[in-house]
Amino acid sequence: MGTDEDDAPLDPAAGLAIVAAQRRRVLDSEVDDRVLFGTWGGLWLLGYTVQWWSAERSPTGTSTAPAGAVFGALMVVGLVITLTHVGHRSRGVRGTSRSVGTMFGLTWFAGFTGQGLVVAGVVAAGADPEVIAIVANGLACLVVGLLYMACGAMWQIRAMYLLGVWVIATAAVASLVGTPDGYLVMAVGGGGGMLVGALVAHLVRRRA
Amino acid sequence: MTEAELDPVIHSASRLRVVATLAALDRGDSIAFPRLQGLLDMTAGNLSTHLRRLEEAGYVQQTKTHQGRTPATYVELTPAGRDAFHRYTRTLTELLKGAQP
Repeated sequence: MGTDEDDAPLDPAAGLAIVAAQRRRVLDSEVDDRVLFGTWGGLWLLGYTVQWWSAERSPTGTSTAPAGAVFGALMVVGLVITLTHVGHRSRGVRGTSRSVGTMFGLTWFAGFTGQGLVVAGVVAAGADPEVIAIVANGLACLVVGLLYMACGAMWQIRAMYLLGVWVIATAAVASLVGTPDGYLVMAVGGGGGMLVGALVAHLVRRRA
Repeated sequence: MTEAELDPVIHSASRLRVVATLAALDRGDSIAFPRLQGLLDMTAGNLSTHLRRLEEAGYVQQTKTHQGRTPATYVELTPAGRDAFHRYTRTLTELLKGAQP
């Protein structure tokens, strides 16, 4: 056997330090939940606040079309940031996590396609603007909350699981409050909740 | 617990870094050679040498594929490699405990 030039025998403390350092390095190269929670938290806070502001001034008490468009555009921004981040961070890794991730991504897509079609049905049935607003938001948040909970359960990420519970609870309260104040509940509870989630994720990561 | 029980294949700073990195990936995942190299700051030649040694011991599996026209190599820890790594870190922990008064 040849000699390894940089490989003097290790003492135990140095060996364990190497293991910890590499684990940290891999963790830092993977998908960062702080980026995802922070992005969505900020966008929800902004988007729902805009909708609330417009609803306060609208005769129907629901978000106006331009405010809805702003909200939609912000959600698209969130989607682009999420896909870019996840795509970049998972490049060069394949196997179980990639196939699980792909199926998980398709689950989001299926959930929101279903939500959109149900809302289209409610609109076609002649529902009034407040009913449409409550159904659209409630269903979307149910999809988000349940997927967060499923993800938290599968990967044993407690903060994500709790955030899912919180999103569902927030949406339930917003639905019962109705428009326009339900938007404010979503902005503070939903957006704020995700920003708190980002902070918790940051603290967990620092301790890891 | 003695130094003699430490797996000689893993008991080198460079190979420990390689194995620890692969062990930090999810079970069932493999990583492209350039990305692994980036996580280790090793030269390609150096990394190849260590991977070959680990492969001979049955701890690492290298799979050559093509992405479009470019050849790509993916590296993963075998179940035996993962077991050996856990055994190795357990031994280190116990040695460290033994060294303390």
